[in-house]
Amino acid sequence: MVSNVLYHCPCLSASSVPPPPHLESSGYSFHPLHTLFFCEECDAVRCNRCVSVEVSGYYCPNCLFEVPSASVRAEKNRCARNCFMCPNCRNTLSVVPSDPPDAGDGRLSAPISTVGEPPFFLYCNHCRWDSSEVGITFEKPTGLAAQLQKLEDYAPESLEFDRLKEHFEPILRASSLSSSSSVAPSISHSHHHSNPITAAASAALARDIPGVAKYTPHARSGRPSGKDRSANKDEMPEYKSRLDINHASTYGSGGGDVDVELMRRLEDVSEVASLEQRWNYSWSTSLETRDLKPLRIPLHSKRSKRCPACTHILIKPEQKAQSVRYKIKLVAANYLPAITVALPHQIEMLGHISAEAAKRSTKAPVDDDKDTRGGLQAGKTYPFHMSLTNPLYDPIQVRLSVQRMHVAAAVNSGEGGTIDKARRPPFAISIPTTPFSVAPFAEAWEYEDDEEMFGLDDDELEARLSGREKEPKPKSKTVGILEKRANVTVVGGEVALGKEARGEVKFNMLVAYTYRSDDPAPSEGHDISPSKKAALETKTFAFYTVVDLGNIIPKEEARADPYDV
Amino acid sequence: MAPIRDKFTIHSKAIVCQDVELKGDITIGSGTIVHPKATIFAVAGPIVIGSGCIIEESAIIVNRRKEVMRIGDDNLFEIGCRIEAPSIGFFNTFSTRSRVHHTVRIASFCVIGANCVLAPADDDTLSDYTVVYGPSAERRTWTGKGKIQEADLRRKHAEYLREMLPKFNRLRRGDGT
Repeated sequence: MVSNVLYHCPCLSASSVPPPPHLESSGYSFHPLHTLFFCEECDAVRCNRCVSVEVSGYYCPNCLFEVPSASVRAEKNRCARNCFMCPNCRNTLSVVPSDPPDAGDGRLSAPISTVGEPPFFLYCNHCRWDSSEVGITFEKPTGLAAQLQKLEDYAPESLEFDRLKEHFEPILRASSLSSSSSVAPSISHSHHHSNPITAAASAALARDIPGVAKYTPHARSGRPSGKDRSANKDEMPEYKSRLDINHASTYGSGGGDVDVELMRRLEDVSEVASLEQRWNYSWSTSLETRDLKPLRIPLHSKRSKRCPACTHILIKPEQKAQSVRYKIKLVAANYLPAITVALPHQIEMLGHISAEAAKRSTKAPVDDDKDTRGGLQAGKTYPFHMSLTNPLYDPIQVRLSVQRMHVAAAVNSGEGGTIDKARRPPFAISIPTTPFSVAPFAEAWEYEDDEEMFGLDDDELEARLSGREKEPKPKSKTVGILEKRANVTVVGGEVALGKEARGEVKFNMLVAYTYRSDDPAPSEGHDISPSKKAALETKTFAFYTVVDLGNIIPKEEARADPYDV
Repeated sequence: MAPIRDKFTIHSKAIVCQDVELKGDITIGSGTIVHPKATIFAVAGPIVIGSGCIIEESAIIVNRRKEVMRIGDDNLFEIGCRIEAPSIGFFNTFSTRSRVHHTVRIASFCVIGANCVLAPADDDTLSDYTVVYGPSAERRTWTGKGKIQEADLRRKHAEYLREMLPKFNRLRRGDGT
């Protein structure tokens, strides 16, 4: 029941106002801050749903070799070097030499050479599977992919696939030539794409595929392609496969009588290959575990992300496969203040429980207490603390405002009418609406009041945990600016729950902050004279968030507690 | 409960560091290496450890049954493992943080993978060349390929430790306490 704050991304929708949080569909437009990006050109928040993603490079996860995109296609998205995946546990296989000839007495007669003896085979360190179980051995420890290539090329599935390609190629060529005249005008009719990525995508969508009806917005281009299609159908010769499908299963592709036989003589479930072991293969394989062959490791890709509106790059990883840094990293956490929310009575509650549990040795039922005392009970008023952290090097002025929720009147009257109305929880939020400033981010040693801060923190923490009153803060002030420390400002708000309130306490909050931009020198410390602000440009940015304080414990359950012991 | 009488019979060629917790009737064979911070508790019955074994840090070997717990030669007990098996063969490997219950008897050339828990409800015996791996402790049988190389590696491991450990750790000498 942790309270959190999620940020809203409009995702290119027309209205920037987010949907009210009690609607089910609103959950998809709110994201935690660490998953969001920020486009400087458009001055907008972008999320993973609206960014356009493109591949920036391919690499093998085992040997970390960057594969140029031309070879990716040639090697069928797999590593071309000696990287293989164990079919049993999907770990990486290593190439090992065979044992030296055994003298028979169990003791070593001669020292083992470092290079090792042929034949070499693949060995999994985790499950101790080795490739000699499927009959794959090598004479040399290097260049394994080439040695296995011959084996792969003569598999029945590859030969069949090549035959299919040969069969359809002349037909494809003929149909594309004849319909190329009709393809050109249709592309020009599609809407003008400024983005090369979407232009390429729409061109790929509009290309002619024989047998599939072509989408044409205009009637006049429909006629020539229809003629071509009918002509194609008549001309296509019949395809004869290499192997009869009924007997294909005996060659190890699974299906058919072979599977039936396997199931009949099955003794142990582990004889059947599991789904995780089989779904990485290009073709369907036989169901037996002992028939699984080692796979070349599939390549992974590094992705870069762009803003959908202005195609500015937001994320660009480094070229080297082993580095996890980024060349360009425009994340929202570097621009937007980070907001966290906490309920102080919950923290006190947890402190009580842990302190009491440490003193007691017997386990007493504390769960009931935690729920009722730590949760939000209907009919009460709770303060909550929101802390805002400023990531910029300039101070910002923040203004918060709660979005008015349009709680529609209950639609269905009749039975349960009053309960429905109470399901949209009526609660009132009060937060400070005056603008307040948050100090800029600076290194830890530059904050002047640091030393006393650390001493005070321990004492304050102890005071909070044991529930004693805190002397420096007057108890009456719960709404307003509570604390300013380094680049964090803590403000307090209050939520008053109605007597019949149910559901979750969630409200949208608009956060608007102004900051100075185009500052030539980074500011140091937080005492900038206000007169300088007028000289430089001030920019305002606003974003919506949803604050979730947790679930309300309805009044009926709370009332039942005095009867429990 | 009868007080545990300590009786340690440590071979002169075995290397047992000072910081090891030993309790009860323990016999350690020649060439065995016990790293510091290991724990060998012969709480209810004696423990007999063979030759050439390597017991690494934080390994716990406990015998809570009256019978003798026999551990064979050339076994490797890696860091953090907890072994209560009543009989163990030779050339086994107990990987890091593995746990073996007292209901399992282990033969030779077995490998218990990292973090695997072997705790069957009733008595079970792992036959030779069994490999236990994966989070759900799946088992399969090893063909035994590469065992000579692995035996060679284990011996070299033990030899290296025999040279290096005494240089940096204090050794426990003699029998008795």
